[in-house]
Amino acid sequence: MNDMAVQASHLSKSFGPKRVIDDLSFEVSRGDVIGVLGKNGAGKTTLLELMLGFTPPSGGAVSVFGHASGQLPGGVKSRVGFVPQQDELLDQLSVADQLKVIASFYGAWDANLIERLCAEWRLDPKARIKSMSVGERQKLSILLAFGHRPDLLVLDEPVASLDPMARRQFLEQLVDASADGQRAIIFSSHIVSDIERLANRIWILKDGRLDWHGDLDSLKESVVRLHIRGAAQVLAGLSVPGALSQRHEGAFATVVVRDWTPARQHSIEESAAVEVEVESLGLEEIFLELHR
Amino acid sequence: MSTVARLVYSYFMCTPMTRALTLGGLALYVFSLYVMASWPQSEHMLAFAAAGQIALFLGSAMMPLMFGRIAQSKAMVLLPHGRLKLLFSALITVAIIAAPAGLVTPFAYVAGNSGKFSDLSKYPQLRDFTVNLGLVIYTSSCILAGWLYVAMWFLSSQRNMAGLAKGLLVIVFTLFLPAREIRELSGTIAWNLQALAVVWTIFGAGFLCWPRLRMVRAWWRLPDLLGTQTSARRTSGREVDLILGTRNPWLMIAALTLPLVIASRIGTGVPAVWLFFLTIFSTVTGAIAGQAAERSRALWLRRDWSRAEIFLQAERSFWRHNSVVLGVLLALMVMIGSYSGLPLNLLAAGIPLLVLGTVLSTYLGFMITRGIRWPEASLGIAIMLALMAIPLLLEAGNANLAVVCAIEGCLAVLAFILRSIARRRWEQIDWSQCRPAKVLSTRQA
Repeated sequence: MNDMAVQASHLSKSFGPKRVIDDLSFEVSRGDVIGVLGKNGAGKTTLLELMLGFTPPSGGAVSVFGHASGQLPGGVKSRVGFVPQQDELLDQLSVADQLKVIASFYGAWDANLIERLCAEWRLDPKARIKSMSVGERQKLSILLAFGHRPDLLVLDEPVASLDPMARRQFLEQLVDASADGQRAIIFSSHIVSDIERLANRIWILKDGRLDWHGDLDSLKESVVRLHIRGAAQVLAGLSVPGALSQRHEGAFATVVVRDWTPARQHSIEESAAVEVEVESLGLEEIFLELHR
Repeated sequence: MSTVARLVYSYFMCTPMTRALTLGGLALYVFSLYVMASWPQSEHMLAFAAAGQIALFLGSAMMPLMFGRIAQSKAMVLLPHGRLKLLFSALITVAIIAAPAGLVTPFAYVAGNSGKFSDLSKYPQLRDFTVNLGLVIYTSSCILAGWLYVAMWFLSSQRNMAGLAKGLLVIVFTLFLPAREIRELSGTIAWNLQALAVVWTIFGAGFLCWPRLRMVRAWWRLPDLLGTQTSARRTSGREVDLILGTRNPWLMIAALTLPLVIASRIGTGVPAVWLFFLTIFSTVTGAIAGQAAERSRALWLRRDWSRAEIFLQAERSFWRHNSVVLGVLLALMVMIGSYSGLPLNLLAAGIPLLVLGTVLSTYLGFMITRGIRWPEASLGIAIMLALMAIPLLLEAGNANLAVVCAIEGCLAVLAFILRSIARRRWEQIDWSQCRPAKVLSTRQA
């Protein structure tokens, strides 16, 4: 059994002349909880759909549990759960019927888990889907992806329409799902705090490329804000390699840099005769700085 | 006023295809005037005007969809006089669409009688008669266009059995009655104006009052008469059909029944026209295959099927569904046809015609894996015209059965070609290109 949930090599995807995904290579292992961040149109949905074989790549390759994503065998498919950005529910059914229909596709279906979650998330099994709110539909879509206890869970903006209570319950469920370290979870979201709370690895997509990928702590150590104190003339001409943004006022300057290492602090202090104080940033600030 | 103008402009010019059809339609109309003025009299001299009218109408095909979307949008509540402006834009579009037919009529009449355009200024009586005729045609076209837009809106926006039934009903009702008025030249301007006034007043009042009516409807929610609500218990073992939307062919049959009965009631007196309607019905049964590609997306991660196998399963599922509908349609055709004493050759040619209608539309639907683009749209129009030509050929007194058989043979070959194209497309289907563009019928809690 291949322990690598997803492997991609030089993956690219174009729609006509527009290159949406550009030469991505990555691996996702069991136990990874990956948060995918990116602006609208950065290629998050396309990347997730490429992984699962909904759309064929224009170049490179991607595999799920060792099988090319375009030709996934049934055994592999039953190990994957997916929550699409736009739900694929059948309006004419009730919640219970929709769950039964989808359960029928899988050999193993954890009815107890789904029943419990239905109660916790206040989903009425008798409710007609066409009369449900967007948030309720989203909850149901998430349940459909959980029921067969997949080894790889891919969620495309799963919390966009959930209220804070439902979001918290969903995140707790994801924490439960990932607790045994046997599952890989990949989820995209615009809610940076959720990703910060849950993900142990971060992918930041920018213009179809992985602008940054790695664990959250490394990212926070890598992108920092420097508060620099020194002579005004020195600060005016100061050039810090990897600077994302820079402001200076008199004897003070503030610079946000990427690829930061503690060794660089001494180098800047010695070469420019300034004092440098390093401030860690939150994920949201890092994301904003990387997209300036 | 600028809002209304902008809306009308958008209806005709919003996509490259509608722009091309609109401008092409106008060009064909202008060319038809040249043909009438300079070519010798012929029964085909109105062909360019007819083609222009079809192109112009198709060019405005986005109107019902855009109208519906805007009318249902939340923004409509906030826009000042939004519903009134939207209503006016629809009225003006209908008036524009019908205008060329009315304008060309006086010239067509003169040319059709081997006269010259200058005769219109020479002979006041001729001018008055042709202008009157033009107004009759214009007002009849307004009625016809208005109803056709309603039918298109039902068919394109609702995309369910109820929408299908409503659309077909409107098509049968409207294609027949005004067409008969025009053909027999018995319509009068007064009658047409009264009909227009009544229809538009009712529609306009209903449209403007809809926000209030909707609240009343919410209290008096009608039960689901067509039985579109489903339970998993009843569909156990047919989950794939449920996902593909082919679970219950009887819904389709129920949707077809009323238009079919009306068509039979009116149409058996004119056998070819009746067969013409049955042909339309047979294509509708296959047309739901147009949603197959986007619906099949839900199967990809849930079944041990490759893309090619998903196509075969979808094909099997649709044929299970369509063969029942087609069977009922054929049975009704033979029963009603025999009872009404329709010519045997018409019934004999009708059987393969209905089969072809279903087969071709099904595979054309399967071909739609990336939305409807130029090839699918033009192929669809060409197939419909070819299918509709057969009843008209059969109506002609000296109907050449060999020609009819040859056309049906060609269409059968075309069906095989379409299937092979559809299968090839499904083998490389990109579901990110055929996401459902559905409007969620959700109610915010």
